[in-house]
Formats: sequence, structure tokens, C-alpha cells
Amino acid sequence: MDEKFDCIIVGAGVAGLAAAMTLAKNNMKFLLIEKGEFAGSKNVSGGVLWGHDLNKLVPDYWEEKDGGWERFINHRRLTFMDDQSTFSVDFKSSHFSETPYSGVVVLRAKFDHWLAGKVEEAIAESDYSMDSFLATNILVEEILMEDDKAVGIRTGDEKFYADSIIIAEGVNNLLTRQIGLQKSYVPADHMLTGIKEIIRFDREKLEDRFQLNGLSGMSNEFVGYATDGVEGGGFLYTNRDTISIGLVLGIKDLREKVKKPHDVLNHFKSHPVIADTIRGGEIVEYSAHVVSSGDKRVMPEKLYKDGVLICGEAANLLMNAGKAIQGMDYAMRSGILAAETIVSAKEKEDFTAGYLKEYENKLSDSYVMKDINNFQDAVHLLHDPMMVGKVPNLINDFGRKFFTIKSEPTQKAHKLMRDSIKEHTSTWDLIKLGFKGAKSL
Amino acid sequence: MKNLKLTERLGLVNYRNQAKSDIKPHIVVNTDICNSVCPHKCTTYVCPANCYTTDDKGKVHFQVEDCIECGTCMYACDQGAVDWNFPDPEIGRGVNWNFG
Repeated sequence: MDEKFDCIIVGAGVAGLAAAMTLAKNNMKFLLIEKGEFAGSKNVSGGVLWGHDLNKLVPDYWEEKDGGWERFINHRRLTFMDDQSTFSVDFKSSHFSETPYSGVVVLRAKFDHWLAGKVEEAIAESDYSMDSFLATNILVEEILMEDDKAVGIRTGDEKFYADSIIIAEGVNNLLTRQIGLQKSYVPADHMLTGIKEIIRFDREKLEDRFQLNGLSGMSNEFVGYATDGVEGGGFLYTNRDTISIGLVLGIKDLREKVKKPHDVLNHFKSHPVIADTIRGGEIVEYSAHVVSSGDKRVMPEKLYKDGVLICGEAANLLMNAGKAIQGMDYAMRSGILAAETIVSAKEKEDFTAGYLKEYENKLSDSYVMKDINNFQDAVHLLHDPMMVGKVPNLINDFGRKFFTIKSEPTQKAHKLMRDSIKEHTSTWDLIKLGFKGAKSL
Repeated sequence: MKNLKLTERLGLVNYRNQAKSDIKPHIVVNTDICNSVCPHKCTTYVCPANCYTTDDKGKVHFQVEDCIECGTCMYACDQGAVDWNFPDPEIGRGVNWNFG
């Protein structure tokens, strides 16, 4: 492998694989490097892959009976919790059972591995079937720079050279920091720790309990009691014969409130409603991984430099604006756009920052940056301390009053609501929050 | 459903190079900083794998064997004590997820 590649991609997660697929389809000569034993072996997500881009990479992926995904989402639920109750917004529709699906649940060790297989098929069909590679078990330790231009990578004593590098290394973006596009120390302020368990059930039991049909699935997000006062939220997704249940917790808040993430997970799972939901399951994996919050203040100032582009979570492209936690779809789109930029850079024979800036323009014009820019208020709202306690508590207090039937005269709902507000917060606080909320969504 | 202890949870994790006794640590912690100037010693509670512990004298100790490469300590430590890297595939530890 003395020859120079058109591109070296660092990391075979969703972003790197999307980039590789795009390069292979455009007959580029590239090297995709993954530090794990196989693609996906080091990766953790909640996780739902939202949107339609997977269909661009693997057309009609749903036709494949044992494809890399678990279940498509046709049932959404957002749950507010206090210590005893849950109050949910629940939406289920057969409309969401139609392809292309708007979201599929994935387990990364399986999904990335499957997608990597598709990339290898695309390589085999390309002009560089013998010269493009997916290389696993290799840790990239350094991006080689000459006159501040990326020219290759180093692993141990070995060096590989290319006209361009796509860094898709994930949120713990050491290489991005090394080349100066991210600060060498990223503070905890806008970073979260995701923690989850995979719980196995008999498939029939799982399908009955969650009212699943065939490969349909449910996604449920949680706000309130779940996080034991720590900023963040909870999630529960159905896989084929397991569920993914977990939390994302603000790292700064964990530090300041002296909380252990695994204790908070126990706290969440011990809630009476959750305990009913997961009864009889068997825990088969425990995992954790840092995620970014979608707060723009933490993102690298720019995503390009001479000879190099940054995509996926390495660029902190992830957002939870209350409606869904989106990260893998952003990774996929940014990987595609980065690779498309490299393809046209090769045609123009121009890999300078001046040309590669085109990637950032494309990303800004895409839904990824449009949504991140438009929903910054929602991100801040979701991380408002009131969202962890006062708001879910008052909603559940209202729910309890509203649904209580005693043999005595019943109060009107607006009176019950006023009482709940008075008990848990003030009208003024709520108006302020409502103002933020109305602006954000 | 019974909650598992952290040690039981970590027992479900598939680690790399488990047969090797002499592994190269991918994280190096300058515990002198933890044990002198650090006001919170937060890694001893925020780490989801409990790699940071305190002894009966309150001194911080670190072991890399249980690390699941999540990255939490790299952000949580604001004292500059944590030198965080990815494990070497051949001579390091780190994870190999079954589900992910």
C-alpha cells in the first residue's frame, strides 16, 4: 500500500461508513480505518436512526429480511415523570409503517457491521475493487501535517498518505483536537454521558407488552424523575428481542450534584411505571458513552482545513430538541456531504481549505445545520433546571387530580391546573418558560 | 426486576485482550493532582465503570481494566489530571460491544 489514496477516512461509524459508501459509488480510491475489531464494535447509541438517508446508501434496505436494523418506529411517546406517576404524549400511526420509514432502531455492533458489509460490496463493484480497503484493528494516532496541510495518517510506525482525510472519529475527537479544530480540553458544560442497558425478553412477550406487530417498534423519551435531578432525560427503544433503556446525563451536573450515573439508572428503573414495563427481562449488556448536546457553543469553529474534513459526532453534530435525539442521521448526512466534497475536489484537483469550505456550505444548507441553528432555544429550554423537576411534577400533579374520581363534586380542569401550578411553581415562572417554549418549537 | 450491582453489570462487558495480564493503559491519571489540589475528585463518582476509587484515607486511585472507553472522565476532570487516549488494539484493553 505504498500508493497514495484519494482519501483516508478515520472511523467506521455511521459518518465514516456513509462517507465510504459515497466514495465507493463515485469510484474513488480510499482507505477506511477502524480501531475496533469490526465496524461498530466500539460504538454505542440510544438509538434511533431517524430520517431517510439510509435509503440513499442502501436502497430499499427494508427488503432485506435480516438487515442491520432492529425495528421501524411507528409509535412515539414522550413521558413526563414524577416519583409515582407518568403523563405521556403518545402518538401511534400506521402511516409510519410505510416505507421509507422515518426512523429505525439500531444496535451499533450489529448495524455498523452490516453497513460495513454493504460498503465492501460497493468497493468490490467500484473501479478500485483491489485498491480501496476497510482496515479494522488499526488505531490512527496522528494526522500527518505538512505546512499545516493534512497529508496522511500515522499508526504506530506506519504511515499512509492521501490527498484528503475525512475525520469521523466520534465525539471523543482526539485527532480533531490534535489538528487544532477543537480545543485540547473540552469542558463538561455541554457534554452528556449516555448510559444504557440492553434487556432481553422472549420475543413474543416483548411484542405483546409493547403492542408491536411484525417489525414495528416504539420510541419513548422521558423527562423528570428519571434523571434524579440531573439535567438530561431517559429513553426506551424496542429492538427485535431486547429493549434499549437508558439515560443521558449532563456531566457538569453529575459533577456538581455528586451523582453516579449507574445509581441514577437504578433510580429510573425502580420507578413503579418503569418497573412494570421491564419486569421479567434479563440484562445482557451495560454500556456508556459520551454524547454532545446540540449546544452550538461546544462545536468546532470550522470543520475543514487544508486536506481535511470533520464529520459526525467528531464535529459534535447531535441534537436533542425535545422531539427526538438526532445524531446518527446527522452523522450520515455529514459523511455523505464530506465525501461528495472530496469527489468534486478531486475533479478540480483542489484539496485546499479554500475549496473544502464547500463542505461547510453544503452542511449549512442541509437540514442538519438548519435544524441545529433553528432549535438552539429548544436545546436550552430542555436543559433548563425547571424541566428536570418543577414542570414534570406539576404536569403529573395535574394528571393525578384530573383523573381522580372521588364521590364528591369535581373541579373544572382549569381550576385543577391553577392549583397544580401554585403548588409546584409560580405562574410567572411558567409564563417565562412558556415564552421560551413557544419560541423554541 | 432486580437492579444489578455495578460489578455485575461490568461482568457483562466483553473486554479486549482479557487473557493478557500486561496491558498498556490507554488512560494515564496524574493522581497527585487529584490528591492535592482537586476540590471535588469527581471522577470517583461520575465514571460509569468505577475506574476511579478512593481508599480509606480519601486518596484517589485509578485502574484501567474496567474502562469502557466512554470518555466521561476526559470532560469531567477540569484539573488536567486525565490524559485520555484510545486503547491500542493489540496491547491495550478497552471494549468490544456485543450490542452497542
